[in-house]
Amino acid sequence: MHWLRFAVFILIVTVLQASLVDVVAVSRLDIKPDFLLILLVFFSIHCNQQEAIITSFTIGFAADIIGSAMGVRIISFGLFGTLLAYLHGVINIKKMPYQSFAIFISGLLTGILAHFLTLLKSQPTGANAYTVVFLTSVYSSFVGPFLFLPTAWLMHIKTYRFGRR
Amino acid sequence: MLFTWFMLAGFILLLAPQKLTSKFQFAFAHIFRWPLSIGRNISLSAREQPQLTEVVSRAKYNQLQNHLANLTEELNEERQKVKELSGMRNRLPLEGAGLILAEVITASIEGHIINRGENDGLRKGQFVLGDNSIIGTISDVSPRTAKVELVTETTSNIAVEIGGLKAVIQGDGKNSAKVQLVSTKHKIKIGDKVYACKKPGLLDAAMIIGTVAECTRDNENPLLWDITVESASDIQNLTNVAVIIMNPKK
Repeated sequence: MHWLRFAVFILIVTVLQASLVDVVAVSRLDIKPDFLLILLVFFSIHCNQQEAIITSFTIGFAADIIGSAMGVRIISFGLFGTLLAYLHGVINIKKMPYQSFAIFISGLLTGILAHFLTLLKSQPTGANAYTVVFLTSVYSSFVGPFLFLPTAWLMHIKTYRFGRR
Repeated sequence: MLFTWFMLAGFILLLAPQKLTSKFQFAFAHIFRWPLSIGRNISLSAREQPQLTEVVSRAKYNQLQNHLANLTEELNEERQKVKELSGMRNRLPLEGAGLILAEVITASIEGHIINRGENDGLRKGQFVLGDNSIIGTISDVSPRTAKVELVTETTSNIAVEIGGLKAVIQGDGKNSAKVQLVSTKHKIKIGDKVYACKKPGLLDAAMIIGTVAECTRDNENPLLWDITVESASDIQNLTNVAVIIMNPKK
């Protein structure tokens, strides 16, 4: 893993997530894809377990920085990113539909845990929190697998090619 | 082992006071204010609809409408004062106030971060204007940035005046707000203007917050109105705001 490359890449994606991603927001609830969630799944299934733990917590920290409360995403992303990395040791998530499903489930779980942790911290949460979590997961799961190849190319990570196995 | 340490760090961040941890967010917003502003401007311009040249934009129209509503309210108040306090001279609303213009660095339903802070005289509780209407109050300040608690947030509670009646408005977290505990014996109708009440040291004149978009009987308590108020400005698409500072230091 090229850690400097990773740090710069995460920084750029975090800035994009906080500003430019509004361009592709849909509906009155402002649903937009969560690029950090997509990266979480990408690194969890393309890195070894040690690297996956570090990347998951780092991406969680980045998500906290642009979120409403600190500590919420770092825990949820860290926990489910690590779980996904361990799960990937048992089940290979190579095909696009599986990757899409992994993003969707990770989005749901991290979103719900983050919501509860936000409540625990006595911070305000959106009125339609569950709807937003669900729709964001759906949107991310559609977009995510298409971003895996460019991400792998940028990060110089060897990836699986769809349809060959 | 690594996982345990990271989890521990996460829980420390979670349980640490918000005042302390928000410094990370403020630092990020301050360091990356240029790319964030550029990205935001691009997304706002991408969202804008093509406008006809003969008419003013919706944002400008709303801004002027809000200005008109504020002036009308000021005029009414002044007339009232003239009637009640004949001979006594009062200072004009917002005469002693300073307006600090700020750019919105990041905008979200959970509050905006602006590029002005403690160093510019910003303090907690100060009112924030967007397109000449109240959009929220300052909830957190760092030396160079501040967080605006929007009127649409569930934690926001602002004293308001609606149809000559004092009440409290609370955000519903869905880009609108609800006026609390208004009895159905008062006549409230769609389109009524909602003004933020004066607050000593923070707001010298009543200023518009929004208009009544929906007014039905409360399902839980039929003796009360369920009033939904739509903000007078397009809060999520604002690029600039102004913070009201009463009696600024010269």
